[in-house]
Amino acid sequence: MSLGTRNALLALAITVAIIGTIVAAINHLDRQRIAELDAIQSQLATDTLSVETQFALLENAPCADLTAGTDLTSEVSSLGDRLGIAESRLGSDNPEVLRLKKQYTLLQIRDYILTQRIADTCDIEPVTALYFYSNEAGACESCDRASYALSYLRQTYPQLRVYTFDYNLDLGALKTLIAVEKVEERFPAFVIEGERSYGFTDVETFQELFPKGLFATTTATSTKAKR
Amino acid sequence: MSLEILAYPFLFLGLYFEVFMLLTFLSGPAKDRRLRVPGLNTPKVAIIVPCWNEENTIDGTVQSLLALDYPQEKLQIILVNDGSTDNTKTVMGSYQGNLQITIVHKENGGKHTAINRGIEIATDAEFVGCLDADSFVAPDALREMISCFEDPKVAAATPAMSVFQPKNLLEQMQNTEYIVGIAARHALSAVNGIYVTPGPFSFYRRSVIEELGGFRHAHQAEDMEMALRIQRAGYEIENAPRSRVYTKVPRSVPKLIKQRTRWTTGFLRNVMTDYRDLVGNPKYGILGLMVLPLGFVAIVGGAFLFIVALASFVLTLMQRYSLTEGIPLSYTLLPRFSVEWFYLPMTFLLLTSIVVGILSVSLVLIGRHVSNTPAKVILGIIGYTFIYAFIAPFWLIRAMYDVLTGKRRAWR
Repeated sequence: MSLGTRNALLALAITVAIIGTIVAAINHLDRQRIAELDAIQSQLATDTLSVETQFALLENAPCADLTAGTDLTSEVSSLGDRLGIAESRLGSDNPEVLRLKKQYTLLQIRDYILTQRIADTCDIEPVTALYFYSNEAGACESCDRASYALSYLRQTYPQLRVYTFDYNLDLGALKTLIAVEKVEERFPAFVIEGERSYGFTDVETFQELFPKGLFATTTATSTKAKR
Repeated sequence: MSLEILAYPFLFLGLYFEVFMLLTFLSGPAKDRRLRVPGLNTPKVAIIVPCWNEENTIDGTVQSLLALDYPQEKLQIILVNDGSTDNTKTVMGSYQGNLQITIVHKENGGKHTAINRGIEIATDAEFVGCLDADSFVAPDALREMISCFEDPKVAAATPAMSVFQPKNLLEQMQNTEYIVGIAARHALSAVNGIYVTPGPFSFYRRSVIEELGGFRHAHQAEDMEMALRIQRAGYEIENAPRSRVYTKVPRSVPKLIKQRTRWTTGFLRNVMTDYRDLVGNPKYGILGLMVLPLGFVAIVGGAFLFIVALASFVLTLMQRYSLTEGIPLSYTLLPRFSVEWFYLPMTFLLLTSIVVGILSVSLVLIGRHVSNTPAKVILGIIGYTFIYAFIAPFWLIRAMYDVLTGKRRAWR
């Protein structure tokens, strides 16, 4: 066998080996990401417990002691981001991703209910937005734009609480929330201050759905108007 | 389907070729070539310098030839003025009376005619070399070169070419590219895969030129055509990795594009027409099965990938605009970095590109090492990696356009 032929075959084997190593490394990283999701799960459990505890405390504690402590922790906010990345890397049908997404959805629903309870009990009115999207192909053309606009608003106005839900997630609590809020299967769907709206055109129009006070003040909540 | 996937076949082939080059570099025959020392044998040689409007550089070129470490009586220098319209004739005239130098003036007929005239004159030379009039040789370059011809099957030999005093970024980038070329030619010589004998200081066995005929116009790529003709005839082309020659290169992007368009069209036209039978032909070994096909793939693939990348970029830009429309730039342009590995976009494309990049840098370092070429490669590597990729597609696309439409361009 000539030197050229030998090297050509050897080079092919080495190249395939390099490519195989790269593919294996990427798979390993993805597995590590799944392992990292376990940490997310642990964080989710802690935060869920925290919300439950806050519920219990609410029974006896004065409002003044509670209103400052009902935000989801910053870790949980980043959990949402990590889940989003994990979903895009591993696929939205990955069982591990789906399981965590359901837990995260539950945590959001619990936090939303707690926020509503505090609002009723302590006579304050937090600015909340429920956002429903769909991952199904062709179901929501403007969901990416809506998500981006909500990220911008949430980062710019920290007092705004945004709860994001995959409308098609197979989770009983979510289906109940959808039924309670009477959210139709049109996307993107929003429930802002109890008002339902559908579709997204631009940020300016979208901002009109929020109470004007949100963009004028930096306080986390506003005093509920006398009824 | 992501457009990224279109890059995979080209990345695979690029990686494969680099691995092949490195393997061949490490092989025994390549090592033997590196260990080869110039012998005491000093056959008669003639060096032809074809000139067309080279008044500024011809003097330096001749001076470097006169400084060659070689017996004067064995070295004939033939300056062929190919109908220059500048002061080249006068500069050449200053060497009138030098017994080593023969001066010829002729009507302009193209570089190949100038070389052929020189070959006609060099009747008693065993080896004939060419040196472009904008290139300069190191004193030991000729002895290194002659040592390649011990085997009678060797019909030609190529030098280690780099850029003469590279200053600006474009020259540094080209120097890095030339140094990769040194490594490539050195490795390919071990498997007789060289497909071009460049104008600056390539040498030929005169008897083989007599047998095969002189240089041809060959779509402005006479050096490539001669190399392919030698290969087709079953001879070998060697490389002298320490035979250093320094050449001037384009100092502006338009001139570089013009030069490279000429080279690329020359390759395409020769390989697609007169030498098509070599491509994919096992008879020609690595040259036929790997070098020529991959050269073709590199041209087409380079242009194709650039167009795909450009389309992908425009598409992303449009999507980004649509996504961020109405959102203040202060938020949109705010970089969001995270050191957490969780967020690192470790994609197949990225990791493969990193491996290809590392191997490319290895080839640069090998080229510099085997030729002892003094070069500041870091700046060149940075420029080569990040700027060349944006310039090269222009000459690739332009060359393909010229070939497809039959358009012919002037040399300069």
